[in-house]
Amino acid sequence: MKRAIYLMLSLLALLGLLAACTGVQPAAPASQPEAPAEQAAAPTEEAEPAEEAAPTEEAQPAEEAAAESAPATREETLIFAQDLTDLLSLDPAVVYEFGGIVVVGNVYETLVSFDPGDPTIKPLLAESWDIQDSGDMWTVTFNLNPAATFASGRPVTAADVVYSWSRAIDLNKSPAFLLIDVAQLTKENMQAVDEQTVEVKLPKTVSPQVFLSILSFTIGAVVDQAEVEANAGEDMGSTWLNDNSAGSGPYILEAWERDAQVRLRVNPNYWGEAPALKQVIMQNMPELANLQAAIETGDADIVQGLGSEQVQALEGNPDIQIVSADSTILVYIGMNAQSPPLDKVEVREAIRYAINYDEIITLLGGGGKLVQEIIPAGFLGHTGQNPFQQDLAKAQEFLTQAGVAEGTEIEFLVPTGLAPGGIEFSTLAAKIQNDVQQIGLTLNIQQVEVSELLNIYRAQEGEMVFIYWGPDFPDPDGNVTPFTNFEAQSIAWRNAWDNPEIAQLGKEAAIEQDPERRAELYQQLVERVMHEGPYIMLYQPTQIFGLRSNISGFKYDPIDTPNITFAAISKN
Amino acid sequence: MTRFIFRRILGLLLVLLGVSVFTFSLAQLVPVDPAVVALGQNAREEQIAAYRAELGLDRPVVEQYFIYLRRLLQGDLGNSIRTRRAVAADLLDFLPATIELSLAALLVSLLLGIPLGILASTQRNGLLDALARLFALVGGSLPIFYLGLLGLGLFYRQLRWLPGPGRLDTTMPPPTQITGMFTVDAVLTSNWPVLQNSLAHLVLPALTLGYYSTAVLLRMTRSAMLEVLSQDYVRTARAKGLRERWVVLRHALKNGMLPVLTTVGVTFGSLLSGAVLTETIFNWPGLGRYATTSVTSLDFPAVMGVTLVAAIVYPTVNMLVDLGYHLLDPRIKLD
Repeated sequence: MKRAIYLMLSLLALLGLLAACTGVQPAAPASQPEAPAEQAAAPTEEAEPAEEAAPTEEAQPAEEAAAESAPATREETLIFAQDLTDLLSLDPAVVYEFGGIVVVGNVYETLVSFDPGDPTIKPLLAESWDIQDSGDMWTVTFNLNPAATFASGRPVTAADVVYSWSRAIDLNKSPAFLLIDVAQLTKENMQAVDEQTVEVKLPKTVSPQVFLSILSFTIGAVVDQAEVEANAGEDMGSTWLNDNSAGSGPYILEAWERDAQVRLRVNPNYWGEAPALKQVIMQNMPELANLQAAIETGDADIVQGLGSEQVQALEGNPDIQIVSADSTILVYIGMNAQSPPLDKVEVREAIRYAINYDEIITLLGGGGKLVQEIIPAGFLGHTGQNPFQQDLAKAQEFLTQAGVAEGTEIEFLVPTGLAPGGIEFSTLAAKIQNDVQQIGLTLNIQQVEVSELLNIYRAQEGEMVFIYWGPDFPDPDGNVTPFTNFEAQSIAWRNAWDNPEIAQLGKEAAIEQDPERRAELYQQLVERVMHEGPYIMLYQPTQIFGLRSNISGFKYDPIDTPNITFAAISKN
Repeated sequence: MTRFIFRRILGLLLVLLGVSVFTFSLAQLVPVDPAVVALGQNAREEQIAAYRAELGLDRPVVEQYFIYLRRLLQGDLGNSIRTRRAVAADLLDFLPATIELSLAALLVSLLLGIPLGILASTQRNGLLDALARLFALVGGSLPIFYLGLLGLGLFYRQLRWLPGPGRLDTTMPPPTQITGMFTVDAVLTSNWPVLQNSLAHLVLPALTLGYYSTAVLLRMTRSAMLEVLSQDYVRTARAKGLRERWVVLRHALKNGMLPVLTTVGVTFGSLLSGAVLTETIFNWPGLGRYATTSVTSLDFPAVMGVTLVAAIVYPTVNMLVDLGYHLLDPRIKLD
């Protein structure tokens, strides 16, 4: 027995050794919280009064922060559980994942923003802006709000804005294409005219509306230049910003425990209205059963991403409110417009009329709503028309017109796993296969991992491909260009569909300044794509949230960044 | 002994080399471009090309392997395609959680499996033996995920005796990181609330993960002890008038432990693989979950990192088992 204990001890020792390696690296971040205290302490020791004046100002926020960081009680804490597996970065110039965007959106601010439920741009850090046609370029001038300050207490200046955008361009990470390619912003074309004025020049091919939408997104967020430069390291502060923040938003990043949770605490120097809750903890919880348990027990205040099974179980529970909100995603089937028989417009139209959409929505059980156009609900230009309903006679007629023989086979690529909206792709695919079989077309379902499917799709090698799309920025152009412009090498290209006329219409609509005229142009375009395009638009998934009944002020807005504004949430 | 360990370590290096070639070749067989996966469907072609170049995926496969090997020899596991951090940093974040869980599960199975096995063997065909065998039968046949869900449903959601998934209560900040194992760090920093909380959080996952190996150990101990107890020297010991407890614990157990030791080595391996499921159910941010996410997103550097860790753990545990034989029975030579 003694030997067995000895053996166990040696095993423990080995694993201890393995784990001991971990001690070396994380020691650095662990010691970081002490650093500001040291900095604050050092100046007080200096005797010279002239130098003392300046440092005390800096020391003050640190002290305030220390007072605020007294642990928030459970009542002052919002626990928000969801699948955060996608969290990769919390640097506004790098972040491009749903979870990370919610964090960054509550910690940093942008010049302009949306109000929940309203697709028109509103001021945030910029009090006002002005768009001028200056001949060969657009000139966009922003006037910053003089009241705006960072969490450090420093004012938000035009120099910070130019630094933040230049930094995003230089880093050139996943979301940088929004500034570089979509807005065609260059470092030469932006300047800080004075403390409060930023001037940007854009090529005439770029829509100023699209530019403003992009600026409302995390890539346009303003970072505290002094703070970031002081911690720049080798990657312009990117690594540092994963565990620290330098923003002007209502919350400060306190810690990111990888794969476990992100903790935010209230920004004591926030220049806007102070949030009701002192602390927000975003808990990573990928399992649906765990989400349900967390909201039932009250271990979480809000859970995101419930499936229809959980909703059924939770409905009727007086402690829980169920809230569903539109996502920006559209689930669709792409049909390769060069690949027979799908190269015939009539065949594509026949398939569209063969599908029973109502039954798909029923299958989704609240996880999605019927949308048959390429602009999602909530966006400017969304028409709300759903012209397709199962009509087998009409479908058959189209098929006869096209002269397609009965029993023609089409390869149907379907991803494995859950489709947005919480139902297996394969279940939906089988339903569609069954519908289309009724007009004599045979879909051969081929199930592959999404990653493999994307490879095939991207190479224009799919015949029919079941997939979904979410726009990169909250403007109709975020969908219209990929879905209609062959040259953009995105969705239209992947389906080998080249229609220069419709693409041109999209370009015109993008740069149109008058919102009403713009909506009209999009309506024309949407209607044409519905019938001429290579898509079967199926549904727009909804996000289902569970909230404890004492939570108020919760709103999910698909086009606003962040989608969820924690500062507006309170507990009764 | 030193020579033995030295030889084993040399062997381990060869195993690692083999594993690196094997996993690298496997990665080449998957018909998918990891850069495409990492950047998602919205990424433009130039962006993908640039990331491919950054990752070195545009070079010939053999060259890629040698670049990888050279970096590996310098202790650099490369960067994860998905998280874009150093794989080593990712592993250091997630490995301690898995080690903590596996060790706790191992403790459960050692503390329950061996004593119950001994008891069962001494009261062969008695009530206790029947109960122990039933316990083992259930443990051997119940899938881990079912047991975990059952435990959570009963002890967390219904009775509220134990905390829910996760390593700590959501509102409790983790202890200052030293080893990354919360219980150990809490002790080292005298952070008693965290120790208490993390132990409470360990109970269900450790029992869930440890139940299967407890069952295996119990059966192994029982049968090994039964065999030893029927041998002549045990009869002699009893004939000498030694007390039964002395006979069992002092004379029989040592010889009965040899096959059990082998089983411990094997079960430790199953603990690590079982950790994948347990971590998913208990929201345990460990290596298993990291591995699953990495595999599904075709993050080859990360998958290779995890594989190398496993390739180190298994032979090392085997080596310890061999050392254990020698300690239990000095007649067994290490060479």
